[in-house]
Amino acid sequence: MNALTQPIVAEQPLAKSQHDLHNARSLLDATLRFVRQQSKTTDDPFVISRFGDVHIRIEVAAALLERAQEFLNRHEDDSEISVAIAESHLASAQALSTVSDAEFELTGQRTVLPGSLQDPLRWKLHLIGNFRLNGIRPVQLA
Amino acid sequence: MTAFAQPPRTAHVIHSDAEAIAVAHKLAARFAVEASVRDRERRLPVAELDEFSASGLWGITVPKEYGGAGVSYVTVAEVIKIISAADSSLGQIPQNHLGVLDILLQTATEEQKRYYFGKVLQGYRFGNAFSESKSKNAGAFETRIRFDTDTAQIDGEKFYCTGALFAHIVPAVAVNEQNQAFIAFIERDNPGLTVIDSWDGFGQRTTASGGVTLNAVKVPLSAVIPAHKAFDEPTADGPISQIIQAAVDTGIAVGALEETKRYARESRPWIDSGQDHGWQDPFSIAAIGELEWRVHGTEAILKKAGQAIDAALLNANEDTVAHTSVVVAQAKVLSAEIALLASSKLFELAGTRSVLGKHNLDRHWRNARTHTLHDPARWKYHLIGNYLLNGVKPARHAWN
Repeated sequence: MNALTQPIVAEQPLAKSQHDLHNARSLLDATLRFVRQQSKTTDDPFVISRFGDVHIRIEVAAALLERAQEFLNRHEDDSEISVAIAESHLASAQALSTVSDAEFELTGQRTVLPGSLQDPLRWKLHLIGNFRLNGIRPVQLA
Repeated sequence: MTAFAQPPRTAHVIHSDAEAIAVAHKLAARFAVEASVRDRERRLPVAELDEFSASGLWGITVPKEYGGAGVSYVTVAEVIKIISAADSSLGQIPQNHLGVLDILLQTATEEQKRYYFGKVLQGYRFGNAFSESKSKNAGAFETRIRFDTDTAQIDGEKFYCTGALFAHIVPAVAVNEQNQAFIAFIERDNPGLTVIDSWDGFGQRTTASGGVTLNAVKVPLSAVIPAHKAFDEPTADGPISQIIQAAVDTGIAVGALEETKRYARESRPWIDSGQDHGWQDPFSIAAIGELEWRVHGTEAILKKAGQAIDAALLNANEDTVAHTSVVVAQAKVLSAEIALLASSKLFELAGTRSVLGKHNLDRHWRNARTHTLHDPARWKYHLIGNYLLNGVKPARHAWN
């Protein structure tokens, strides 16, 4: 099972992105709350810039989710939609993993938020690359 | 030197966002043809710039009430990105021209706006003599302006003066005794103004970003605007300067990714892969996928930054301008990151043959590395984090 053999559920193709993005934002809020209670930490330039990095990854995920949604609404070409959805999944997963690392680094705790193992990201990279490099269309939505 | 700035041809006047994008695509296709040769020979794009400004693209931000198209900053960023994907030196040259147009809008008198916006719509190009390489930091100026009854005199030494060599009018930043910054619009043939073609950086080679000396340059008071007011009060001018930077770098990334795919298609298969063609390599394919989503993520944030600027122009206050600086900073970080990544991955995925001199593919990396140094991305992470964690609004200047 992978992204090529497992069709994305047609009704909720962006559910995974929304789920990861939601978790990423919650985790960021929790981490911000924790750090704000440590008075000296909020002045640490490296802690501050770490939050900058996390925030960027979350905003990219939100922007690519919105973009994929627009592709769906506009009824773009099916392959373009599949690729935009795959890109959104990758961005959300990266946002979640970045904030999760930051949580561990800054709070010493790690909230366990497992992603789906049934739908590996590595094959989404392949799906996107194979379309853009070789013109091979992704398996279409049901 | 003055040979570079021919009197402007009559410029076309662009009337809409859609027209601006269409014109940019048409020009970019032509600029792409000899971009590599210009870089290799460091052949300054004199004819191309005449075509560029005559196309009307240098006037698209002139507001409608002054006869321009007043396009959105989403469009401005898209135009600069499209041109930069073809030739990032050409994309960078109007950077300060566009920045100055907003400072005019924010701080000039009605009469000055009519005069200078009119010139721009006719095809006049502004260069810039802003930065100084010997001052304490990027925002510190040693160039002085002294006001008399009806003239002002400017004295100083500038560097990184992108566009000045090709300009009809060179706006120069100078400070008064209270350290307030003014911009003087100096005609290219004004006595005392010397533009020096001294830029020999390894990237952005044909921007002619060299020096300017100002030796007892005299201008009428009508040629001076109180530029400091664009930062004393909250305006979107800093984000406008910055989004153009990010658009150039996004363009470099887009151009490098296109070249990567072209050359990766032709690469040989790896000996252990058991494949017949390089384009079948699963690892190369996945690496292209990685670049693709990162480029699209950067473009999506660049668009958000343009939208934030448009909103801040309609309603400029401390909060909207701070928010805009933060979004533009995200675009700046992402564009710097992807420009460097894509222009380096190009060689990894296309193989050793892609480094041969005849291809000149290193220009993408040289351009990315050079242009992304304009202001350090490491401080953008800090700016964004400090706003998020501590609610600290970004300082207002041309680099935020």
